[in-house]
Amino acid sequence: MKTEVRGNGASISIQNPSLFNTPQDSITGALKGCLGSLDGACIEKLLLHCASALENNDVTLAQQVMWVLNNVASSVGDTNQRLTSWFLRALISRASRVCPTAMNFNGGSMIQRRLMTVTELAGYVDLIPWHRYGFCVSNSAIFKAVEGCTKVHILDFSITHCMQWPTLIDALAKRPDGPPSLRITVLSCRPQVPPLLNVSKEEVGHRLANFAKFRDVPFEFHVKDDPRLSNESLAVQFESLLTQLTRSELDLREDEALVINCQNWLRYLSDETKGNSAHGFSLRDAFLDIIKGLNPRITVVVDEDSDLSAPSLSSRITTCFNYLWIPFDALDTFLPKDSSQRLEYESDIGHKIENIISFEGFQRIERLESGAKLSQRMENAGFFSLAFCEETINEVKSLLDEHASGWGMKREEDMLVLTWKGHNSVFATAWASTKLED
Amino acid sequence: MVELENSSPMTLSTASGEATASSLGNQIQDTQLAGGGPLKKKRNLPGMPDPDAEVIALSPKTLLATNRFVCEICNKGFQRDQNLQLHRRGHNLPWKLRQRTSKEIRKRVYVCPEPSCVHHNPARALGDLTGIKKHFCRKHGEKKWKCERCSKKYAVQSDWKAHMKTCGTREYKCDCGTIFSRRDSFITHRAFCDALAEESARTQTLAVVNTEGNANTNGNGGTMVGGGATAAATSPPPQPLTPSTTSVVSPGLSIQSSEIPENPMGLSPATPAAASTSTSNANVFATMFAPNPQPSKISAPSSFLQATTPLERTSLSLSSPLYLSNNGSSIFTGPENDHCHYAPTPQPAMSATALLQKAAQMGATASNPLLLRGLGLAVSSTPAGQDANVKSENNIATASLALGIPSNGSSGLTNPMIGSSSLFGNKPTTLDLLGLGMADGGSSSSGLSALLTSFGGGFNVGAATATSFGAGGSNSPRETWDGAPEGKPNGPALL
Repeated sequence: MKTEVRGNGASISIQNPSLFNTPQDSITGALKGCLGSLDGACIEKLLLHCASALENNDVTLAQQVMWVLNNVASSVGDTNQRLTSWFLRALISRASRVCPTAMNFNGGSMIQRRLMTVTELAGYVDLIPWHRYGFCVSNSAIFKAVEGCTKVHILDFSITHCMQWPTLIDALAKRPDGPPSLRITVLSCRPQVPPLLNVSKEEVGHRLANFAKFRDVPFEFHVKDDPRLSNESLAVQFESLLTQLTRSELDLREDEALVINCQNWLRYLSDETKGNSAHGFSLRDAFLDIIKGLNPRITVVVDEDSDLSAPSLSSRITTCFNYLWIPFDALDTFLPKDSSQRLEYESDIGHKIENIISFEGFQRIERLESGAKLSQRMENAGFFSLAFCEETINEVKSLLDEHASGWGMKREEDMLVLTWKGHNSVFATAWASTKLED
Repeated sequence: MVELENSSPMTLSTASGEATASSLGNQIQDTQLAGGGPLKKKRNLPGMPDPDAEVIALSPKTLLATNRFVCEICNKGFQRDQNLQLHRRGHNLPWKLRQRTSKEIRKRVYVCPEPSCVHHNPARALGDLTGIKKHFCRKHGEKKWKCERCSKKYAVQSDWKAHMKTCGTREYKCDCGTIFSRRDSFITHRAFCDALAEESARTQTLAVVNTEGNANTNGNGGTMVGGGATAAATSPPPQPLTPSTTSVVSPGLSIQSSEIPENPMGLSPATPAAASTSTSNANVFATMFAPNPQPSKISAPSSFLQATTPLERTSLSLSSPLYLSNNGSSIFTGPENDHCHYAPTPQPAMSATALLQKAAQMGATASNPLLLRGLGLAVSSTPAGQDANVKSENNIATASLALGIPSNGSSGLTNPMIGSSSLFGNKPTTLDLLGLGMADGGSSSSGLSALLTSFGGGFNVGAATATSFGAGGSNSPRETWDGAPEGKPNGPALL
């Protein structure tokens, strides 16, 4: 018996076909509807099947799906192709951990790490409003919160190397009643994630101080360090972090307005509850508890609006695939396919994808939670949500007007969310540690 | 009742007065508890849009149509039937406005009909009709509107108008020479720019004493002193790249780049360039997933793996450009109607079916444990010559995952991606990706055969077993996440 299968003009003859019953019936059904072109939904299914193949140790099937995906993937293609290429890379990275090989694989990230200069980073954070949105909302809220204060101290927990602060310094410099004295403290430990700089934190602070002087804003910059731990892993450093967040360690001064700024940062704090803790406290909760205890004037928390820390790999793949298309799509809107800026930006996202999909346990440091969940956590920690004022809203609107149409903003309770074509991208929230007197 | 700010995402910066419906699938549903309890908001997670929403896919024709509703008296066109009806009143014609029928307004979301588009997926649908129409026109339409000042091009006239309002109106120039159109990016750049550091170094040396009252304190080792720019940047002034100075979207590339000559569809003259270079694989990366422009090349198959021809075009020569250049293409200017021309994205050469068939035929040989030899991210001993760089990489992962490529004639999909040494490397041979060069088409995994079975029809799958390589739990010891050393700029090849 001969069966002919037609594929796009080619006619292939097969001898002796026989139906095969397989235990993996779920795979058959799921790929129905993929006939014809491979669109986003189909790619997603293929990714999931690859992942489940890996989890079932069916390396053969995994290989085959990867082969198919490889034909789709292209880091310089259209949005779907680019996304696919990074997801595929992450799956391969995962696979290489699953399958012992004769190779000497060191288990680190497969993606090239790239160091930027400070001015390159300055351009990077403004390529799309992804970061600038958070800066704008936070700075506006901070500015409002420290009105009338003559001394301000900001504890900056972020991964964007102080790119947020020039615009705040600029705004403070123009205050009608004169600028306050400004102190910014950062930690010496930082997750090894993009964007990466080719200079030290001290150098960054140096330049920032330079700028502040140029604008006549009294300024101090501190790098909170624990020299004992400089060679330890990030996890260990973060653990000891809690011991460093005391009034004395941070040199908090009575007459200062304390501001806590968390930008794309809380996700790196472990959410594993300690085994012996009766209250189910994790490092993340402990951190928030300590912060609240410092009685800051305002705490601003900005992060990406998606839940990417589910235990299930499939769930993470799905959520990740249906979230991170946003920056890819935004970049596609105005940068050509061969743009190096675009490729670099996408590579950094690929780094994140790789961590989320390829790693487990303590190596999977990207544990993002959505704004809704984060808000719940803040409330549980005893914070009170602050609404953003009209001026802030207007500032953000002006910002978005300057970027491609497609960027928008919406309010979800007190949270402000950046949207791309209506899809949530980045959320911003502000918190008080005590109930405000009316 | 908490107010919802729904600034319309698609029309935020346009001058058009179109009102858009509220934003889309990934919605908050506002439910008020009757008992006066706290307002509960049910948020849909990203990727899981409103399950009750009706997903609508309009045809390209519909999406591009403007002013479909035409008055029979004066031939004036309107975008909406309602508007036409109101207009007809003026002619004393009978008119009828359609009522909103159902009490329950079912939420509608729109997907893009273009299969390769991100918005084809219902998970990324757009919530309003105007949005999807604008998207379609912007993304898949021809960019006819050009800004004279900065050469940015737009498919939608209102976008172009909105851009013209702001382009060049405000400019901020840094001492280093870079120009910015936005103040916040200017300020941020300025703060870190070498130009400022140098300037303050100059003033520093001129200042007698660095102890102004409001100067920065010299605290402990962690404190920075403002103005102490002696440690100013040693690196040469970087080339700052800002969105305002980056290259603009090139015409015609916004559309699926593999435009084939027989389908001009009024596209910009960059297309002829594409046509002439398509066989020399200008857009090889983008066209990996692109159509086979010469289906007639596929001859009658003699072997199962005959499908070499669709990918022949992807074999590169090092000298061919990797992407289209768009110099000199004439630009459509002048006010025409907003009507966009649509160039349908050509179907990919490989349907999912075909790809999966091939994957099945490659199958797996249980005796070949070097799975990941093939899944490598590096191109190995292909004669391209760039591999010297790759192999000398510090990054063990890439070097050790190098690909061995046997010269097997039946490995139909040899796809030596010999690109130039870009940061993002090259695509390895797809077939031997799996280290299966010597395999015949006999065996296949049960999983994949089942998959193929679902497409109707049986396949010769032989004695397939789901082979596993005994991965078990004994993985090699993991290094820490941040253990990977820096690699060279000739980065690891990607897939």
